[in-house]
Amino acid sequence: MEAIRNAFDFSDFPRIDLVIAGALALFFVVFPLSPHSSFTMATMIQFFMFSIYGMGWNTIGGYGGQVDLGKAQYVGIGAYTTTVMLIRWDIPFWLSMPVGMGFSVLWSFIIGYPLFRLKGHYFAIATIATSLVLKDIFEVWNFVGAARGLGISPIKYQPPDFLRLIFKEDIYYYYVILGFFFIGILYLNWFRKSRLGFQLRCIKDNEDVARSLGINVHWAKIKTYAIATAFVSMVGSFHACYVKNIEPEDTMSLDISILIALMAMLGGAGSLWGPVIGAGILIPLKSYLKEWLGAAAGLVGIDLILYAVIIMLISAFEPRGIWGIVQKVRRRKRR
Amino acid sequence: MAFLEIEKLTKAFGGLRANDGISFSLERKELVGLIGPNGAGKTTLFNCISGHYPVTSGRILFNGEDITRLKAHEVARRGIARTFQVYVASGDLTVEENVMVGCFMHTGSRGAARDKARRILKELKLQDLSDSMVRELPVPAQKRVTMATALGTEPKMLLLDEVAAGLNPAEIEGIMGSIRHIHDGMGVTVMLIEHVMELVMNVSDRLIVLDYGEKIAEGTPQQVAKDPRVIKAYLGERYVREKAGLENGVCLYR
Amino acid sequence: MEILLGAISSGLLLGMVIALVALGLTIIFGVMDIVNFAHGEFLMLGMYTGLLTAQFTGVDPLFTLPVAAVVGFLLGILCYSGFVKFLLRGPVVAQLLGTFGLMLFLRNLALLIFGSEDRALHHGILVGRSFDVGMGIIIPATKLAAALLSVLSFVGVWLLMNRTKVGKALAATALNGQGARYMGIPTERMNNLAWGVGGATVTVAGALIVNFWSVNPFVGILFTMIAFAVVALGGFGSVPGAFFAGLVVGLIMEIPGLWDFLTYLTDSEWMGQFPMTSLKYMWIYAAYFVIMVVRPRGLFGWKQ
Repeated sequence: MEAIRNAFDFSDFPRIDLVIAGALALFFVVFPLSPHSSFTMATMIQFFMFSIYGMGWNTIGGYGGQVDLGKAQYVGIGAYTTTVMLIRWDIPFWLSMPVGMGFSVLWSFIIGYPLFRLKGHYFAIATIATSLVLKDIFEVWNFVGAARGLGISPIKYQPPDFLRLIFKEDIYYYYVILGFFFIGILYLNWFRKSRLGFQLRCIKDNEDVARSLGINVHWAKIKTYAIATAFVSMVGSFHACYVKNIEPEDTMSLDISILIALMAMLGGAGSLWGPVIGAGILIPLKSYLKEWLGAAAGLVGIDLILYAVIIMLISAFEPRGIWGIVQKVRRRKRR
Repeated sequence: MAFLEIEKLTKAFGGLRANDGISFSLERKELVGLIGPNGAGKTTLFNCISGHYPVTSGRILFNGEDITRLKAHEVARRGIARTFQVYVASGDLTVEENVMVGCFMHTGSRGAARDKARRILKELKLQDLSDSMVRELPVPAQKRVTMATALGTEPKMLLLDEVAAGLNPAEIEGIMGSIRHIHDGMGVTVMLIEHVMELVMNVSDRLIVLDYGEKIAEGTPQQVAKDPRVIKAYLGERYVREKAGLENGVCLYR
Repeated sequence: MEILLGAISSGLLLGMVIALVALGLTIIFGVMDIVNFAHGEFLMLGMYTGLLTAQFTGVDPLFTLPVAAVVGFLLGILCYSGFVKFLLRGPVVAQLLGTFGLMLFLRNLALLIFGSEDRALHHGILVGRSFDVGMGIIIPATKLAAALLSVLSFVGVWLLMNRTKVGKALAATALNGQGARYMGIPTERMNNLAWGVGGATVTVAGALIVNFWSVNPFVGILFTMIAFAVVALGGFGSVPGAFFAGLVVGLIMEIPGLWDFLTYLTDSEWMGQFPMTSLKYMWIYAAYFVIMVVRPRGLFGWKQ
């Protein structure tokens, strides 16, 4: 099938990129088998999670050029669907996750239709608005535990539970999220070469030209938004099983939405590796800053000040992110 | 039944009538030039036909179908393609990828789109530029890429908007060749907006002249060049009156 | 009945102050098409300015307004010339993220400097006093004063924009930056001025609000969203629009009061249990969404 072939075809990248990517992939696979601290393991898992969030964001934000600052609502939908289905009806992860994705995609179509009549800052603010609306609703909705949230107590189940994704050791979670990570990369590789991917890139640069080429711009954006949503929801479900304790404030807050967008933009929105690079820099930065400066500093927000400065510098001087810099340097070398 | 029929087309922006009661028709396989001084409403007319602007009143009939109220992408799918004065599909893509965007209108497969794009580039003699970034190309080459991209949609009619603007004589020759190839060789009906007289006078079967939103003349290049209304539109009334005494009258272009 | 009238009057008064909060946003947007995500943080800093000035100098909070205005003016100019100016060169996406970064920066800087606890004003000529206007409506003096001062500020800004040469230059730059430049209007200075005036109005609003709303470093985003809703409704770039829209949004914020009134009327148990108060901000976010989708130009807007 051409689609499968396209997903695995990385040939349009320069050789050195593929070598580095391959080496990293290998490293990721063997990492848990080598000596490591639990802290590093946790950081790695976070890294993969946010890479995937970023990859999802990248489809509509990077390739599509519409900055979405409301992704956290889908983290919430995914996380809560899985948790509720587990707690109330003992439904395993592998079933509840697709259901969560279904709800998320449904919601994305409902708000996407009106949402994509907007562009630029209006669009961004509207995404924040929808995300906050959903969060506020969850905070008062008793079915999902309102502001207290919901918890999964591992004692009830027998870890390692592969069906429900309840484990005692992180290593299991690591390999699951790593699997999702690889699937995400392959999917994105297919996406950027697909008809929708090409259409999006044209839309991003010039919507009028896109229309004159027969592209239904509104619908293309909605479809892409749904894809992004599915990504985020999938990891949201994972998040629920991993941290086993979710509440609206830490799953659906604006800060999470910003973090997701930020990672993709820092690494390079609109490129395959961008979100991974972005997550690769910001997640360890966040974790280690907290470690070194102590939890108190984390509370005081020094890590966020650093983030903020990074965002400001990147947006003012290199909006294309790190990958943008890499490409610029390469192009200059070619001449 | 003409291929393209414009009936009393009016497009108003508030009080300003950019197109006022314009009527004309095009036959299949014609190559028609749309000329007129700056601000006459030529690009507006294109935008109305291609569905990028909603029409205030009047009708547009294409291939027997009333396309007046259709959205831009629906018009494109009916077989009308166009280029824009300034833009390519995407500056970030290579030439080949740009053309592929157009080709994707009729296929979902990347391989098929790429093959078709390659064929089109070869027909327009652009294959050497396949892998160049469009953004880095000189303007005349970019214009030819926009034409190639439009061709990717297999149009029945192509609207070209000032593709020769800013080109030197050699480049104009090149573009003329491409247009002739698209029209004669590929059988596409073409309507072009142009200010470069050598180009439009030489390739067009027929000309339509706009001024201040209205159609003021229509005919062969020779007829239009001698039409006093046209001369007045371009050169001003005084010029016409001053030259009224000349034996042959004034000819706008020989 | 008193509940209803109380809610309405409270909403209108609050609305006048909200309008002032949004005024700065609409000015900046009108002049240079950039949406300032850090707007709410300016407000927050204005609140702290008002609070701390009052506490340290012992001056009545209402007299801290000039201080706040100066602080806001300088802050606005600093942010523009030190950062936002560079953002304008880039794509919209970068501008968005840039002002977002500014928001995070200011918010966490405040967290670092002021700590995370709520702070409120406890002294002052008007604090704790209220007027009884009859019909059972009780208006806190602070809210009334804030509303009046807000209206005054609005009039002041309107006069500035429409009656002074500088104001007209600002409006010209807003309508057509290029054209304004050709006419000899120094656009850079206009941009700086827009940010200065915008910043000043919102910090003054903050200094007014802190009289009846406690401050902590995180209040910014709520007010940013409120300001956006107001500007969306009133029309991006319209000064009178911001005023009327402010009133409407102020009323929306009093929906819990309205709800209480309806609950009382219908004596409905379900309505009584519904957590309307916790959801009161939600209506504002939803309002923004609905307005932008249904009528993006807002009530008076001329820019889109």
